[in-house]
Amino acid sequence: MIEGSRVIDFHGHVGRWDIYGMVDNPDLMLQAMDAVGIDHACLFHIFHPDSVSSNDLTARFVARYPDRFVGFAYVSPLISSGCVDELSRAIDELQFSAIKLYPPYTPWPLNQPQWYPIYEFADDRGLTIIFHTDSGSQSRPKFLADIAPRYPNANFVAGHSGNTAEPRREAIAAARACPNVYLETCSTFRTPGVIEELVDGVGVDRVLFGSDMPLMDPRSQIGKIITARISDEAKQKILGGNAGRLLGI
Amino acid sequence: MVSLSFKTRIPVFDANICVGDLHDGLSFCRNRDQLLTDMDLHGVHRALVYHVQAETISPLDGNCYLESWLDNGGRIYPQWLVMPSPDSIAQVQTLYAKGKVQSVRLYNTRAIGLPFRPWVYDGLLSWLSQVRVPTFISLPDADSDELVTTLSAYPKLVTVLVGAHYQHALWVRPVLAALPNAYLELSRYEPIGEIEALRDEFGARRLIYGSWYPRYAMGPMLFYLHHTTLTEAELALVCAGNLTRILEERL
Repeated sequence: MIEGSRVIDFHGHVGRWDIYGMVDNPDLMLQAMDAVGIDHACLFHIFHPDSVSSNDLTARFVARYPDRFVGFAYVSPLISSGCVDELSRAIDELQFSAIKLYPPYTPWPLNQPQWYPIYEFADDRGLTIIFHTDSGSQSRPKFLADIAPRYPNANFVAGHSGNTAEPRREAIAAARACPNVYLETCSTFRTPGVIEELVDGVGVDRVLFGSDMPLMDPRSQIGKIITARISDEAKQKILGGNAGRLLGI
Repeated sequence: MVSLSFKTRIPVFDANICVGDLHDGLSFCRNRDQLLTDMDLHGVHRALVYHVQAETISPLDGNCYLESWLDNGGRIYPQWLVMPSPDSIAQVQTLYAKGKVQSVRLYNTRAIGLPFRPWVYDGLLSWLSQVRVPTFISLPDADSDELVTTLSAYPKLVTVLVGAHYQHALWVRPVLAALPNAYLELSRYEPIGEIEALRDEFGARRLIYGSWYPRYAMGPMLFYLHHTTLTEAELALVCAGNLTRILEERL
């Protein structure tokens, strides 16, 4: 909690990526979270396209601290046949709260038909999907504007808000055009003025704090929100209010 | 206690600020007044500043452009770019003779098309070592083997390795271990828990706060440092003390 408001980190990973110093240590994550008042971290594992392996690893990790970690389901259209079944398992049995998609690990831009069954599932269930977005050909945020209107019961989150200036403008434009598109803040590029740009672009109700933990320390990433030139009310919504509403927690 | 607002608890000396417009893009920071305003906003009292064109186009011209950014109030400290060319070395040696050189930054050691080896750099590094000028080197722009092998031949030269990113997570420890006179600047280095881990392994005396403003915002890394398990004394070293010491030890 920060000044009485719950803090939810909407973007975190399970798994090791050793060359980048990314370690799989829940206690280290909790120490960093506790140091800056983060109550909950949303986590997903994205390294297994069969999805079952990834989701089982996430479930095992979340079970270490179920009151602090929130599992998100990962699926990949590389194995399309079992995608929806695995989503059902992850949501209904593993009790995951949302869906993570990583288009760069596939050949298909996120507005292509290979992804539609996932969107239909999310739409039927009223779920939120967070995408990796950047300047890559599969993950341009502008594609969100193609799909979001067709699935009005789902919510679409542009992870990293596009990451750099041009795709960030696309992410803002997509969110302005579609009320079910949200913008998430984590990025290795801690460019000055970005949080203010997002808030100016879409308002305070559709921006979500994320850290990319443990690839990046949540303390520097939350520092972007705390030190931004926005109101305290806006900070509270970005840090947790908006995410709590999306996740129903 | 974490708050929605943040103020630094200690004086801060930012080790990594670049000013001026690139040839192909405008800087977020338009002038010295804006720089000082942003420093005030984030609790940064002093800053070590170089010109972006010195880093990307010409060290000689860029160093000249830096002059207009300097202040008389003692808050903006110049950092001069240098490359191993006669003109560049002569420029910095002239500035040194005028008492204006407290630190230098090497021009991108990959971009010049020559290796970072003594047969290219010996004249420059020998002089910098002799006159005890701390030398900043961009880690992403260096070859790790050349960096360690070459700098090991100049054990008295103080270096500050700038810009390490999580992509360099496997570099940092062996480089710091091999170069006991090297410091790590922290602006881009944010793998989880690494500030405390490096403190435990190498001591807070080896870590230096920098923002890389205006490419990066000043505040987030300062906020991070203020929410670590660093003691107040360690925090003071990282945020200002270490940089102050290595600049003053030169004198």
